[in-house]
Amino acid sequence: MRTTNRAGKTYSLMVLTPIRPGEEGPLRAYLAGLSESPLARVPRTHMARLLVVDDMPCPPERPDLHDPLGGAYLLFTSNFDGSLNAYLSDLVAALEPEAEEIWGRCIGCPRPAAGAALKAYIGRNQLQSGVVFAAYGDASVERVRGALDKRERLTDFVIRAQDMQPAARRKAFLKEFGAP
Amino acid sequence: MGSTGVAHLPAVLPDAPPSNVCGNTTSITLFTTLAPVGRLVMPALFAATRAIPKTLAAMDRLSFISYASWSVVRDIPYNGLPQATRRLRHAHLFFEVHFNGSWAQYIDSSVRVLTAGMKSFWGTSETFPGPLPAGPFQRFFKVHEVDCDHYFCAYPEATVTIVRSALALEQRLDMFAHRAALLQPEAFDAAWYAFLEDAQQFL
Repeated sequence: MRTTNRAGKTYSLMVLTPIRPGEEGPLRAYLAGLSESPLARVPRTHMARLLVVDDMPCPPERPDLHDPLGGAYLLFTSNFDGSLNAYLSDLVAALEPEAEEIWGRCIGCPRPAAGAALKAYIGRNQLQSGVVFAAYGDASVERVRGALDKRERLTDFVIRAQDMQPAARRKAFLKEFGAP
Repeated sequence: MGSTGVAHLPAVLPDAPPSNVCGNTTSITLFTTLAPVGRLVMPALFAATRAIPKTLAAMDRLSFISYASWSVVRDIPYNGLPQATRRLRHAHLFFEVHFNGSWAQYIDSSVRVLTAGMKSFWGTSETFPGPLPAGPFQRFFKVHEVDCDHYFCAYPEATVTIVRSALALEQRLDMFAHRAALLQPEAFDAAWYAFLEDAQQFL
C-alpha cells in the first residue's frame, strides 16, 4: 500500500507515546540537557524533534474546546531517507545509550528499552501523515552534505585559482574535483 | 492594525525559543482543534494535495521551508493502563514545519504568499481568524504551538536556498570535472571561465 508519509525519497515519521505519570518533568529535563544530539548518530536523519505534549493546546477564550489527553505524551518526529523499517532499526541501535531515558519513561515501553522490542513499540505508536512537503525530497542527507562541501570547496578554489597559469589551474582543479 | 506588512505588527511579539532553533533552522509544532466539518474536509484536502503536488508549488517557491507535514489526530495508539485516552473528543490538525529565518518572518511571509493555502489548511480549525491581517494569525499559531524539548538538524548552517544551490552546482561541477579531464590547458581555461559564469549564480 502506498504510504502517505513520503515526499520524494524522504519519509516523515510521527510517533506519539504516553509518558508514565510523574515522568514528564524528568523527561523534559533530560531532553533539554542533551548537549549533543544523539540523533546525529542516525546518519539518514535530516531533521527531528522530541517534545513533551502536556495537553492539546486550547485557546483561553474557548474552554469548551479543552480536550484533555489524560496525561502527557512524548512526540517524536523525523524526516529521513529510505525505508521506515531500516530507519527504526538504525534508530534503536544508535540511541541505545539514551533510549531508556527517553522511551523508557513511556507507558508500555519494553524493558529494557532496546532492540527489536523497542523498534516494535515505536512502530506501533506511529501516526500517519496526511500531506508531506519536502523542498529537496530526492536528496539524501549524504548527498546534501556532499553538495554543501563541494560548494564550499569550489568557492575556496575560485579564489585560490585566480592567479594561477592555465596549466596549473587545470592541474589544481583536477586534483580537487577530478574523478579519483 | 494594517492588513499586510510586518511594520504594522507589535514589536513585542515573541519569537522562537532556543529549543525550537538549530543553527539557521527553526521549527514549529502546532495542534489546532478541528471543527466537525474539518473531520470530513481534511482527508479530502490531503488526498487532493497528494494527487496534485502543484498545490504546494507556492510553498516551494518561498524557498525557506525545508520540510512540513500535516496530519489529523484523533485516535491515539493504546498501550494499556495507566494510559487514559484512546480517542480524543475532537479531531486535531497536527502541523510541523522546518524553516529558515525568524518565527515572525515565517508567519508574515507565509500569510502573504500562501494566503489561499492557509485558508484551505486551517479554515476548518476552531478560532481560525483568517490569514490576514497577520497579527491575529500569529496569535492563533502562538496559542496552539508546542515547543520542542530537543531539536536536531543534520546541516544546521545551511538554508534551503543554499542546499538547493549546492545540489544544482554539484551537477554542473561533476559534468565540468568529467569534461575537464579531456581538455588541454588553454581549452580548459576557456571552459573554466564559461563554467564559472554559469556557476556563479549558485555560489
